[in-house]
Amino acid sequence: MEINKTEINKTEIEDMASATEKPLTKEIIIEEVSRNYKLLHRYKLSQQQIHIGRDYQNDIILSDPHICPSHASIEFRAGHWQLIDHQTVNGSFVENPTQKKHDAHQHIVKDGDIISLGKSQLRIFFNDHKVLPTLAFSPFESFVDLMRNPITLFLSIALFVFITGNVFYLNQPIEVNFSQLFVPTISMALGFALWPASVALISYLNKYDSRIMAQLGVSFVFFNLMWLSSVLESIVSFNSASNAILPLLVMLPSVALAFCLFWLNGYIGFQMTATRRAIVAAAITTLLFGGSYLVNYSKKPEFNPRPQYNATIMMPSLLLTSSNSVDNFIKDSEKLFEQTKKEVLK
Amino acid sequence: MTNTLSVAQWSERILIGNLMKAFFFLVFILLSSFISNDSYAAEQAEQLFNQLKPSLYQIKLIDKASGEKSFIGSGFQINKNGIIATNYHVISSYALHPKKYRIEYLDHQGNKGELTLQSVDVINDLALVKRAVKREIPFLKLSQTTPYKGDKLFSLGNPHDLGMIVVPGTYNGLKKESFNERIHFTGSINAGMSGGPVVNKQAEVVGVNVATSGNSIGFLVPHNKLVALYQNFQQAPPESIEKQMAQQLMANQEKLMAAIFNSSWQVKQLGAQGSIPIIDVPFIRCWGDSNTDKTDALILTAIANCSLDENIYISSRFFTGSLDIEFRTMQAKNISANKFYHLYQQQISQAGAGNIAGKDNVTEYQCHHDLVMPDNQAINNKSILCTRAYKKFPDLFDVLYLSASIDKDKQALVSHFTIAGINQANALAFTRRFMEAVSWK
Repeated sequence: MEINKTEINKTEIEDMASATEKPLTKEIIIEEVSRNYKLLHRYKLSQQQIHIGRDYQNDIILSDPHICPSHASIEFRAGHWQLIDHQTVNGSFVENPTQKKHDAHQHIVKDGDIISLGKSQLRIFFNDHKVLPTLAFSPFESFVDLMRNPITLFLSIALFVFITGNVFYLNQPIEVNFSQLFVPTISMALGFALWPASVALISYLNKYDSRIMAQLGVSFVFFNLMWLSSVLESIVSFNSASNAILPLLVMLPSVALAFCLFWLNGYIGFQMTATRRAIVAAAITTLLFGGSYLVNYSKKPEFNPRPQYNATIMMPSLLLTSSNSVDNFIKDSEKLFEQTKKEVLK
Repeated sequence: MTNTLSVAQWSERILIGNLMKAFFFLVFILLSSFISNDSYAAEQAEQLFNQLKPSLYQIKLIDKASGEKSFIGSGFQINKNGIIATNYHVISSYALHPKKYRIEYLDHQGNKGELTLQSVDVINDLALVKRAVKREIPFLKLSQTTPYKGDKLFSLGNPHDLGMIVVPGTYNGLKKESFNERIHFTGSINAGMSGGPVVNKQAEVVGVNVATSGNSIGFLVPHNKLVALYQNFQQAPPESIEKQMAQQLMANQEKLMAAIFNSSWQVKQLGAQGSIPIIDVPFIRCWGDSNTDKTDALILTAIANCSLDENIYISSRFFTGSLDIEFRTMQAKNISANKFYHLYQQQISQAGAGNIAGKDNVTEYQCHHDLVMPDNQAINNKSILCTRAYKKFPDLFDVLYLSASIDKDKQALVSHFTIAGINQANALAFTRRFMEAVSWK
């Protein structure tokens, strides 16, 4: 349950202005909420007097040991709901997010008020409380549904395993058999599965639906897309000279893919506003790419006696551009010498 | 890619490279066998030693801050005015950091005094230092003639700070196939004797101790190099040592590259279809290797490596003047083109510099790469060229070139060279000729 802060403020002001002429309402909704306002229980009551406390005669029974057996009551008097604290040990307080905490004894309850008793919190709504407009299913929902389909999930994990195995195979300088590839491949897949699993775990711990299948499905599809983008990157870097801009641009898809993955992870696992989700996804993406850049940067020695060059080569069938002439290569090399000479002056 | 070194070059590098760490290296080879076998030689050696003793010095490089010696070598008087000849590598630290060190001599009577650096020949590892003299002092005469093979020579010096000694040995001509000539001396030269004279029976200097390969194989700088240095110094003393070194390095690379450009580049077959150039000059020597014995290898590889077996010592962490060329052919056995290229890429991703150089001496490498096809269209390569500039010697560079063929599914030809201490024009001219000389048959 998301609380819209501005909404609360608005209703508060309205309530203050129209407190007296408001039609009498006896129905009241009391929600037991956690510290970060997650709904735990909801009661809808239609009586004049509601008793709240730890013993079993109360209408709302709270098991919090810091609450007195008969802690407080909310009574409908002269068109208002009023809170009465029964001289309790720890007191009752109005603790609205935008207001200062104050004593709740004899407080006239307004729509959206949050009352803290002991270590528990109650949120009170009237039945005319305005709710947010209906959220339509986004197109992502159908995409996520497709991805968490067991068959799609199996296929994307199988594809991931196949690609990983292939990469391992291609980089082994000696002959390898199936079982030698099996262990690194499976452990790689399990390692990558840790990410969606932990996102699911975190959303579960935050009282959201874990939706692990959806997380796995979406993540593996994106892992596969990232393999694809890295192959594209290699092809571009193989086909271009060192001063080309294209290899830098080809970096972008992988950044975009990472962002989309984190965005979808957030979309599946957590309920939050669109801006917040975008910010979180952008933050994780920055952390990932910026972090790996920082790690590389910090590892960089003060002076590297070895040349750093791009040695990407691929099989001739992936050669898409025509080659330069020796003349042009030598001409470009002249610039290189000029550049190095400038380094001396630094 | 690795650079194979011949044994001789390796130990030479060790000697020169590690002298800094003072009393290191080499088992002291007993001279007793030499001496007892030939009592006449012993008598003669003693006589010579006594005669030359007043002109011999131990040269010490003193670290000013600590007041202790950081390097030792030997030297000898070559004129009556106090000019002393020694090795450049003995005083190299002073030449590069004159504020940090001072040079001191110790004569046969235990007198000490300061020396000033006058002139160097960095290519032939020689230096002239000067002591202040009040009166004329005895000096060694430089020989007018070259010895004959088998002539008895006497090497003098102060090994490992153990005192001045004389070592009899044999002249064995010039080191075979050397670019900058060195005398091959059969006799035990040890660390600390660097810069000491080698004289003939007439007590005339025929060479200067410079390096060893161990097992009584020693190398000397021929006396004519010293004569040339001394004459140049008398005509025009150098403006600054650094400029003099820069000029010598520049002239040396010009001479080397001229010799290479003017020689014939012979076409040679490497592997089944590779065609590579072999530069036909005596001082560049080639070695080969292949993995035909490894039955489990997925790729059949043959390597040819040609290099100049000498390099120029600038400091213990900075060498230059080397040239290494490597060719490699690869032939896939039972693997796909995709896998072959993956493994092939691993092979070429780790090329390193051919010479030792640090942050104070050179910039970091800068590289560029492109796909290049020579005009004859006989090969299509991915070519990479990297350079780094020398900080103290303007317009000199280290270059590294690496080229990998990308036009055959299951065959590859890698061509690679590194040249240390070359100017831009020569580097580019060499690169161009090299690129055009490598192809498929």
